[in-house]
Amino acid sequence: MFTHLHVASAYSLRYGTAFPGELVARAAGHEMDILALTDRDGMYGAVKHIQACADAGVRPVVGADFALSATEGEHAPSRGPAGEESAEQRITVLARNGGWRHLCRLTTDAHQAGRRGEPHVTRELVARHAEGLVVMLGPRSDVGRAVAARRDQHARVLLAAWRRAVPDLVVEVVDHYGHHESATAARMLALAKAMHVPAVLTNAVRHLDPGDYRVGDVLDAARKLVPLHPRHVEHSASHAYLKSGKEMVQAAARVCGGDSGRAARLLAETRRVAERCAFDPRDVLALRAEPERLHLPEVDGDAVALLRRRCEDGLAHRGLERSGQARERLADELRVIERKRLSGYFVAVSGITDLIRGMGVRCAIRGSGAGSLVNYLIRIGEVDPLDHGLLMERFLSEGRKGLPDIDIDVESARRLDCYQAILDRYGESRVACVSMMETYRARSAIRDVGAAMGLPPHETDLIAKAFPHIRARQIRAALSDLPELRGSGLDDRSLDTVFRLAERLDGLPRHIALHPCGVLVGNSGLRDLTPVERSMLDFPMSQFDKDDVEEAGLLKLDVLGVRMQSALAYALDEIKRVDDQDIDLEQDVPRDDPATYDMICTGHTIGCFQIESPGQRELVAKLEPRTMHDLIVDISLFRPGPVNSDMVTPYLEARHGWREPSYPHPRLRPALRETNGVVVFHEQVLRVVDVMTGCGLSEAERVRRALGDPASRERVRGWWEAAVLPEFDRETTDRAWQVLDAFGSFGFCKAHAAAFALPTYQSAWLKRHHPAAFLAGVLTHDPGMYPGRVILDEARKCGVAVLPLDVNGSGRHWLVERPPPAEPREATKVRESMETREAGNPLEIRGPQEAAETPEALEVVKPLATGDDRDVVEGFSEGYGLRVPFSAVKGISEAEVERMVAGQPYTSLADFWERARPSRPVAERIVQVGGFDALHGLHPGGLRWRPGELTRRDLIAQVGALERASATGVTSSRRRARRTGARGAAGATGTSTGAGAGGPPQAVQIPMSFTEHVEPGELPEMTEAEAVEAELEILGLDVSRHVIGFYDDLLDAIGVVRSDELLAVRGGAEILVAGVKVATQTPAVRSGQRVIFTTLDDSTGPIDLTFFESVQERCAATVFGSWMMVARGVVRRVGARAVSLRAVDCWNLAELDHLWRTEGLEAVRAVLGPGRGDQAGTGRGRRSRAAGARKARAEGDRAGVGGRPTEYGNGYRLSPYADIGPAPGVTTPPRKLWHASPGSSGPIGFIPRPDRCAGEGSAGRAAASESGRSRKGGR
Amino acid sequence: MSRIYGDPIEVWTRDGEPARFVWRDRLYVVHRVLDHWVTSREWWKISENDPGERRFWRVEASPGPATGTYELRFDTAAAGWLMLRAWD
Repeated sequence: MFTHLHVASAYSLRYGTAFPGELVARAAGHEMDILALTDRDGMYGAVKHIQACADAGVRPVVGADFALSATEGEHAPSRGPAGEESAEQRITVLARNGGWRHLCRLTTDAHQAGRRGEPHVTRELVARHAEGLVVMLGPRSDVGRAVAARRDQHARVLLAAWRRAVPDLVVEVVDHYGHHESATAARMLALAKAMHVPAVLTNAVRHLDPGDYRVGDVLDAARKLVPLHPRHVEHSASHAYLKSGKEMVQAAARVCGGDSGRAARLLAETRRVAERCAFDPRDVLALRAEPERLHLPEVDGDAVALLRRRCEDGLAHRGLERSGQARERLADELRVIERKRLSGYFVAVSGITDLIRGMGVRCAIRGSGAGSLVNYLIRIGEVDPLDHGLLMERFLSEGRKGLPDIDIDVESARRLDCYQAILDRYGESRVACVSMMETYRARSAIRDVGAAMGLPPHETDLIAKAFPHIRARQIRAALSDLPELRGSGLDDRSLDTVFRLAERLDGLPRHIALHPCGVLVGNSGLRDLTPVERSMLDFPMSQFDKDDVEEAGLLKLDVLGVRMQSALAYALDEIKRVDDQDIDLEQDVPRDDPATYDMICTGHTIGCFQIESPGQRELVAKLEPRTMHDLIVDISLFRPGPVNSDMVTPYLEARHGWREPSYPHPRLRPALRETNGVVVFHEQVLRVVDVMTGCGLSEAERVRRALGDPASRERVRGWWEAAVLPEFDRETTDRAWQVLDAFGSFGFCKAHAAAFALPTYQSAWLKRHHPAAFLAGVLTHDPGMYPGRVILDEARKCGVAVLPLDVNGSGRHWLVERPPPAEPREATKVRESMETREAGNPLEIRGPQEAAETPEALEVVKPLATGDDRDVVEGFSEGYGLRVPFSAVKGISEAEVERMVAGQPYTSLADFWERARPSRPVAERIVQVGGFDALHGLHPGGLRWRPGELTRRDLIAQVGALERASATGVTSSRRRARRTGARGAAGATGTSTGAGAGGPPQAVQIPMSFTEHVEPGELPEMTEAEAVEAELEILGLDVSRHVIGFYDDLLDAIGVVRSDELLAVRGGAEILVAGVKVATQTPAVRSGQRVIFTTLDDSTGPIDLTFFESVQERCAATVFGSWMMVARGVVRRVGARAVSLRAVDCWNLAELDHLWRTEGLEAVRAVLGPGRGDQAGTGRGRRSRAAGARKARAEGDRAGVGGRPTEYGNGYRLSPYADIGPAPGVTTPPRKLWHASPGSSGPIGFIPRPDRCAGEGSAGRAAASESGRSRKGGR
Repeated sequence: MSRIYGDPIEVWTRDGEPARFVWRDRLYVVHRVLDHWVTSREWWKISENDPGERRFWRVEASPGPATGTYELRFDTAAAGWLMLRAWD
């Protein structure tokens, strides 16, 4: 029976094309009882191969295929044809039965030897681990290359050296029917015979089927970064597939020249090697062994006693020592833990959380682990499971195999510090990070295929970006299904080959990366169990992914970096710095603060953890949470499962008393009362199953898991029928089953929700009571879904001033400022910037006199909230500001920020140039966004020409002059002058901003004796529009005023309703709204539609729009392709104080604006068409009836979004395009936002524009807006 | 000394191997297959249903008493045979 000993799977990155499971299934189909996997460069697929073998009843062999480099001391042979010498040399090693650890260690060493990503072995290295290995020298080995080059003597020398170094050595012959290949193989056989080295036959497999070689060719091109060309492909790769035994007998006959005796001997030797290497899968799959083997870290002393003692201490510490309930629960948990011999695991994890907290890093438990009292007592987590009725069984149960998952959230900015600390504590030999395979998806596949096919890179980029984050195999389906792609012109025949090939790459691994949270903590034997390589950041990283390590019985701890934790930590630091207040969020903050819940109930939750998305803002407004428990329910309800099983409505109805809670049976009342009879949590499923069958919670957890799998669902159903206790009647049994079945696997683990609810509440509390510090944290660590400009707007709404960049005031990150009252200019500045918003924007401006009276009132700007929001928002007002940081400036380097902060204060632009040493573009950008306004007393806006007064443009000119001066070497004398000058100025004024504030605009005090002279006021000042444009381009933020303000005239003319007026509009009315698009999502919804949720921001608040499939035909391209939009929608009230719109149409605001300016208001009105309200039901007016009918027919043919939704048992349908990241569309504002008003005639091209980052446009946008225009224009 | 031709020929096969062929109006009988190999073509330039292979056969064959060596090529795209080279 033939055995393939040299097989590459898809885990040979960008080389193999078949997954281990497919290969094993094919081998089993060929009736082979042993199969090897020898992936290139490592053991990435080894565990999956062994699993597949175990399932298919095939015995596995594992090996690896490594690049070979010349042994030190022997230089590579330099003679012979160049082509042969430059070809890469590779050898294959197989682990003999029991040689797993040798293979692991060799793999680890091979990765240590080379540069990262270029592992290689030498003969010496292989010899060091040869004890448990078989080494195969094939056609690509040094010996094989020498034979092919007909350098027989050299081949003999090499083979002899190998024979001395390695005890178990074989020669491998391969025949892929290539030119001369069988002749070379025959000479290889002769050499082996002459040297008394056994020979084996392999097929050097890299494909499953002959036709797959094309995918292989594309991968070769992608790996080598070359276009597809005959020069770069393997010409006989079509034979490198998993051949049957019969085909291999033919190959044996070919290489043996038809000598059947020799062929039989060759095949017999192949079989002998296979037998030597095959092993029992359970040797590696520790969880399948009986009893299962777990590889836990060593603990000093007796782990059982240690854990017991620490739990006792915990009872005292948490004030639970008198609680009988706690003691009983603890005894239960410890019994399970000790029976499963996991005490050491808990001790180790708590050691790690202590370590992390000891570093001052915020650390929270997440997931089911929060359900364990032990975790609470030994301070792994801060959630008391008894408080919330959480169950341990969801986390750890008798029947469950393997290790329980304990997941820890730490500050994202400190995650790697935590890894390093764990590494330092346990040592490199015991710790490794878990890896993950990044696989080909639509965009990456198109990029690689496009490059291989020689498409121009920018075109490939545009095509790739037009697609949402779908799987590669959906590419062509998406082209016909998605309205925004249908009109894009991408369905061109010439691209068909690209897409066809890209689809073939679907799911193939392409890159190994550090898993975002998994850390392996093992014992000193860890390196015998898993091969380890270096990650990009130089962490030791296992070649196994999270599933593999679990199968292998290794302890994995999830340490996830959570940006919100960093944001919270940052906020606390800022509160300490500015207000000198120490806040411990865990201890000091009451968890029932009414003000915080008031804020949440109004949906003012932008920036808060978990509850800031449009859908959640809608849900919290409806649900009106008042307690932690309400938040837990809210978080659990906002999941695809509950949403799609329609649990939300019954819950809300019962909660608000509109409906009596109903229970399937009185005895289920205790389990379901907390959620008014609706099943929301996994824990409730366990309780229901337990109550109705008496099976116990551990068994119930197994039942719950089985429910998620359609295959075992029927089995569970049978069990249920038999197991339900007789006291429950038929109807109750059926009703309960329906609930359980509908729930399936979709529900949410309450422990997880409880763990989430804590940071949710903490973030809301901080936002309510310390908005400036909190939003500084949010802006700095970007934890949420909204761009920074939305957060800034939220800050303004909270009464926090947004302060422009200031070289003397800005820091590395967003700083909270409490501007001292004695600084009128700063205040004026703020007021000025805010005054510009007064049109159509209700802002209360207090005068400077008032400001002088009360320091708090210095914060001159306070939003005058309208309608119901008034009470909530007013409470936020504080005398704080947020200062734009240096790091927000586009293109600035870490080192520049460092120098700029270190050098403060500065006395002038020249001083800044001299000491902070920015690059010229960065210096110019800082001037452009007003970084020197305070220092040099500039006032952008207003008069453009102000002779004698310095302007930003003057300063930009000065930057140029300074650079030229530095370049010509006049700096040294200037530097000396600058030093003394700087010290003098700083000493005189004392404060940073005071320097420029006091005197007249004497900024030209720059001694220009050696450089060119720039006359103040020689160049015109920037207009406000130009200033905002610069801010958006350089900072990505509109700091001085909201962009939408520039469109107010147009928006007023067409009657757009503002966000803060929405509450006053009656439900069902059709209105126009407008704003900057700040979020677009396509989450899974119950109907199986791909629904687009879009949030616009119009400076008075967010506007949430819903585009159903029926309107996407005309809207999708515009929604994805616009930065600013006007939309028509029908008002829908979703809660006491929240409104959402069902969109019926939309337009790109920039295009409308252009139309308005070039053709006038009538043209805009014509494009917008009369809404339904104006037309009283005659449909979409301007179009003629005939055209309408034609269009309706056309839409009927291919309306909306195509693709078959996946249907689940509970009636839940999932669109294939839901719940994926949408195409990036437009994320940067268009370069020219609005058209210069007639009076401003400044030289437009004057401001040097740094190159914009690529990606401003996209094919989707270009094509989409193109088609959008033509469509709209044609109406 | 070999000569290069490239003439289209008609070939009869047995068990996937060429057995007889007609070249320049003469019938050749294949005595022995000396070598056989396969190369893949630039499939990315051709149609999608074609495996894109060229199969080469070097055979000993004779139209009469004299035996020569001939190299034949089968192209899967064109489904046609060519006489590539002859040593006769």
